[in-house]
Amino acid sequence: MAQVATNDHMETSTGIDNKKLLMWLFLASDCLFFGSFIAAYLLYRGRSLVGPYPADLYDIPFTSVSAFVLLMSSVTMVLALAAVQRGNIRNLRIWLFATAILGTLFIAGQAYEFTEFYHEGLTLSTNLFGTTFFVLTGFHGAHVTLGVFILLSLFIVSLRGGIQQKDSHTIELAGLYWHFVDIVWIVIFTLVYLIQP
Amino acid sequence: MASIAAPKRSPLSEALKGVRHAASDYGSIWSWIATVDHKRIGVLYGVSAFIFFVVGGIEALLLRVQLSQPDANILDPDAFNRLFTMHGTTMVFLVIMPMSSAFFNLMVPLMIGARDVAFPRLNAFSYWTFLAGAIFLNASFFTGDILNGELGAPDGGWFGYAPLNLPEFTGGHGMDFWMLGLQMFGIASLAGGFNFIVTILNMRAPGMTLFRMPVFVWMTLVTSFLVIFAMPVIAVALFELTFDRLFEANFFSAEAGGNPLLWQHMFWLFGHPEVYILILPAFGIISEILPTFSRKPLFGYAFVVFSGVAIGFMSWGVWVHHMYTTGLGTVANSAFGVTTILIAVPTGVKIFNWMGTLWGGSIRFRAPLMFAVGTVAMFTIGGLSGVMHSMVPSDFQQQDSYFVVAHFHYVLFGGAIFALFGGIYYWFPKFTGKLMNEPLGHLNFWLMLLGFNLTFFPMHVSGLLGMPRRIYTYNGEMGWDLWNLMSSVGAFFIAASVLVFLVNFFYSLRRGKESGPDPWDARTLEWSIPSPPPEYNFKEIPTVNSRDHFWSTKYHEDETGHVVPILAGGAVETAEPEPEPAEDDAHGHGIHLPSPSYMPLIASIGFPVVATGLIYDYALVPVGFALILIGFFGWAMEPATEEE
Amino acid sequence: MKRPFTGFPPRLRRLIPAFILVGLLALFLSGCDTDTPQNTFDTKGEVAKKQADIFFLAMWPAIAVMILVLGGLVVIMLRFRETDPQHIPPQVHGNTRLELAWTIAPAILLLAIGIPMVATIYDLGREPSEDAFRVDVIAQRFSWEFQYPEYTDEDGTPLSVFDQEGFHIPAGREVAFYLESVDVIHSFWLPKLGGKLDIVPGQTRVLWLRADEPGSFSGQCAEFCGLNHADMRMTVIAQPQAELDAWAAEMLQ
Repeated sequence: MAQVATNDHMETSTGIDNKKLLMWLFLASDCLFFGSFIAAYLLYRGRSLVGPYPADLYDIPFTSVSAFVLLMSSVTMVLALAAVQRGNIRNLRIWLFATAILGTLFIAGQAYEFTEFYHEGLTLSTNLFGTTFFVLTGFHGAHVTLGVFILLSLFIVSLRGGIQQKDSHTIELAGLYWHFVDIVWIVIFTLVYLIQP
Repeated sequence: MASIAAPKRSPLSEALKGVRHAASDYGSIWSWIATVDHKRIGVLYGVSAFIFFVVGGIEALLLRVQLSQPDANILDPDAFNRLFTMHGTTMVFLVIMPMSSAFFNLMVPLMIGARDVAFPRLNAFSYWTFLAGAIFLNASFFTGDILNGELGAPDGGWFGYAPLNLPEFTGGHGMDFWMLGLQMFGIASLAGGFNFIVTILNMRAPGMTLFRMPVFVWMTLVTSFLVIFAMPVIAVALFELTFDRLFEANFFSAEAGGNPLLWQHMFWLFGHPEVYILILPAFGIISEILPTFSRKPLFGYAFVVFSGVAIGFMSWGVWVHHMYTTGLGTVANSAFGVTTILIAVPTGVKIFNWMGTLWGGSIRFRAPLMFAVGTVAMFTIGGLSGVMHSMVPSDFQQQDSYFVVAHFHYVLFGGAIFALFGGIYYWFPKFTGKLMNEPLGHLNFWLMLLGFNLTFFPMHVSGLLGMPRRIYTYNGEMGWDLWNLMSSVGAFFIAASVLVFLVNFFYSLRRGKESGPDPWDARTLEWSIPSPPPEYNFKEIPTVNSRDHFWSTKYHEDETGHVVPILAGGAVETAEPEPEPAEDDAHGHGIHLPSPSYMPLIASIGFPVVATGLIYDYALVPVGFALILIGFFGWAMEPATEEE
Repeated sequence: MKRPFTGFPPRLRRLIPAFILVGLLALFLSGCDTDTPQNTFDTKGEVAKKQADIFFLAMWPAIAVMILVLGGLVVIMLRFRETDPQHIPPQVHGNTRLELAWTIAPAILLLAIGIPMVATIYDLGREPSEDAFRVDVIAQRFSWEFQYPEYTDEDGTPLSVFDQEGFHIPAGREVAFYLESVDVIHSFWLPKLGGKLDIVPGQTRVLWLRADEPGSFSGQCAEFCGLNHADMRMTVIAQPQAELDAWAAEMLQ
C-alpha cells in the first residue's frame, strides 16, 4: 500500500500500517459475528409455527432499491478516498457527505420496512422468522448507523481542516469498514430475501 | 474504530491537558487509572485476576463443604446452584483469561523488543472493560435478599444452557447479569486479541523474525486469533439470549418451534476454542521456564510452535464432543469422536518435547521449574482422561458426571493454574527487582500438588460410580461419601497453598533478595534489561540475530564444542544498577511514550451503565451509550503521544 | 551462586511423585470394584457392558502413557538435576526423527482405539428392535413419569406411573424409552444399564436399554435442570414379563 509509515512514527515489521491491520482483523472477526446470525436465520427458515411468513411480507423491488442505494454509497466512498489521496479536500467533503446521505437513506428504508412489517403483524416475538429477521437485519442496520456516524464525524473534522492529503489512511480505514458493511448486506440480501425455500 | 486526526489545538484537548497532567505524576493513583503502560496494565490485570481467584476459590470451598458428606444442609440448593455458576464463570472468565492477559501484557512487548503494545489506549480500554464486567457480574450477588441468605447471582450454570436460561426457568436478574457481564468480557478480550495480534505481527525488533520469537509469544498469537474468532460467536449467542430474556424473542424457545440445541452449538463452537484460549498461554509459559531451568534450548522449537498452531485450527472441529449425548446421531458422533481423538496428537507432541528439553539438561529445582514440571505431569493426566472422554460410547456414561469435573480440573487447574503460578514465580523478579522466597515457593508447590490431587483425583472415582455434576447433595447409600470427603479435605490444602503464596508474595515484595536483571541466567530478551524495566523498556531497540538471542550474547561454544560463558563485556544492558534515566535522557534516544489517558476508562464505564439500564431502567441506556461515545470521541481527538 | 533450597530431604522428595502415583492408582482401581447403586462398572445390561469395554480399551493405554510420562519425568528430574552450577549442557535444539516418531506413534495408537470406538457407536446407535418394549418417559422439573402404551385401560389411555409408585420394566427384553421433556433439557440415566441420553424439549429421543436379569436400578437426571436437579432421581425395577404384566394389571385397577 501507498502509506507505510504513518503518524505512528515507525516502520512496522510487516510493512502494513498498525491501524489498517487492526481494521482487517476486526472485519475478519465481524464475519463470524454476522455468520452466526445468518446461520441462526437459515437454521430457523421455514420453521415458524405461525405467520406472517417471509413470502407474505417481503417487498423485493423496494429492498432491491435500498440495496442499490447502499451499493452506490460504496462508489461514493471510493471517490472520497480517491479525492483525499489526490489532495482534493473539497471533493473529499462532497463524497463523504454523499456517502453518509446514501447510508442514511438505506437506514430510512430499513426503518420503513420494519414499520411495514410491524403493521402486518410481525414483531420480535411473533415467530421464529420475526425473531431471526429483525435481529439479523437490525444488527446490520446498527453497523450502517455506526458507519454513518463515523462518516459524518470525518466530514465535520474535514470542514475544520483536520484532514489533509497525509491523513488519507484514516479515510481508507473508514472505507474498509464501509465496504465491508456493504458486502455483508449483499450476502444478507441474497440469502435472506432472494433465496426462498 | 477509525481514529481522526485532530486539528492541532482544539479547545477540548486544551481542557483535557490539565487533567492529563495529574496522570503524568508517576506514582499517584491517577497515574494508575490513566495508565497506558503495558507493564502497569499487566499488573492491574494480574492483581484483579488474583483477587477473583480468591473469590472463586471461596465459592469452591463453600461447595466442597456442602458436598463433604451426604445429605448436608450447609447450603440450600438455590445458593449451591448460584455458587457453582459463579465459580465456573469466575474461574474461566475472571481468573484464567485475565491472568493470561496479564502475562501477555507484561511479557510480549519485552520479549519481542518493543516499547509498548501497538495500541496502548485500546489496551487500557480492554482492562477497564474487563474490570467493569467483573464488578458488574459479582454485583449480582447483592440483588437478592442477601441478609436473609438469598443470593442474587446467576443460577443457570456457567454454560447457561437453553431453555433453562430463559426467564420462566431462571427468574430474577441473575442470568441477566451473567449474559451482559459475559458480553463485557467478550469486548475486553476482543480488544486485547486485536491488540496483541497487531503488536506481535508489527512491533517486533529488527531481526526478530516469526521463527525467532519465544514460544510464549507464539502461543499468545495463536490464542489471540482464537479469541477474535471465538468471541463473536458467543457474543451472538448472548445477544440472542438477551433478546429472548429482555424482549421476548424466540431464539431458544421450543414452544415457538425453536431448537434449544442452537445455544449448545454456538456455546461450544465458542467453548472449545475457549478451552485452548485458556491452556495455550500456559503452554507458552512452561515453554519458557523449562529451557531456562534446564539450561538448554527448547527441544524441537518448530514442532512445539506448529503443534500449537495445529491445536488452534483443530479446536474448531471438535465442539460436538461436548454434545455426544444430545442425540445428534451416529454420523456426527463418529466424526467428532475421531477429530477429538486426533487433537491429542499435537498435545502429546508438546509433552514429549518438554521432556526432551529437560533431558540432558542441568536442571535447577527452583519454584518456577517445580510448577512447570507439575504442569506437564498434571496436564498429562488431564489430557489422557480427555482422550477417554473422546471415546463416544463410554462418554455416554461419563458425560455430566464427576469424571468430567476431574478431567477439566486436571487440564485447567493442573494445566493452566499451575503454569500461571510458575509464571508468577518466574517473572516476579523482572517486575519487582526482588526474588520470591524459595522455601515458601516449594512449600506452596508441594501443598498445591498434594491438595490438587487429593481434591480432583477422587472425582474420577465418584464420577465412575455414577455421581452426576451440579447436584447440591446426594444420598448416603450411593457410595460417594468417602470420595467426596477426600475432595473436600483436598480443597482446603489448596486454600492453604494459596495462603502460602500470598504470604510469600507480600514478604518477597518487601524483603525479597535483590534479583538483578537476569537472576535465572535466562534466554529471552526481557532479561537483558534492568529489573524492574524502565518505562520505555529498551533504551536502544535490540537487533536480534538468532532464537535465544540474549543467551547467545552470554555463551558461545569453544573449540572443543563445550558451551562456555563469554567473559568480556556485559551481556545485560546494565551490568550494574543504573540510575533511572531522566526524561530528557529518554527523549535523547528519540523515545516517544504514549500519553496517559482517561478516555478508555470513561468508555468502559459506559458498558455496565448500559447493562444496568437494560435490566432495571431503560433511561440509563442512553446515559451509558453517551459515556461510551464521549470516551471514544475524546480518545480519537486527544493526541496519542506527549507533545513536545 | 548458592545451592538452591530443596525444601524436602532429597531421598523423600524423589519418592513423593511415585507415592502419589501408586497411591492414587490403587485408590482408583479399588473404587471401580465397589458395589454401589450407580456404579458404571457393575454392568447389568448389554449397552452398559459395551460402553465399559470401550472405557477399558481407552483406560489401559492411558494408564500406560501416564506411567511412561510421569515415570519419565521423575527419572529425568533425578538424572539431570544440577550438580555443578557452572556446567552448561550441550545446546541440543531437537531431533527431527525422534519428534516425528512421537508424533506418528500416538496417532497410530489413537486411530487403533478409534476403530473399535466407531464400530461400537454404530452398534449401540441402531434403532430399537421391532419387539422392544416401549415406555414413554416424560421428564419435568423435578420428577419422572413413565407411560406404558402396551398397557391401556378400557378408554385406551396408557398406564401412567410416577416416582412414588415405582417404575417397572421387563427383564431380559429390550426396552425402548421414548424420551420427552415438558420444560427444560433433562438427561435420562440408568448407569448400570447404559449411558445417558439428553431430553430436549420439543423433540423426542429414543434410547434402548436391556436389563439382562431382574433387579432394581438406580438412576437420576444428569443434565442440570434447575433448583432441585439433585432430587430428580428414580428407581427402575426389572422383572420377568409375566410379573410385569401382573403388576400392570393391578395398577390399571
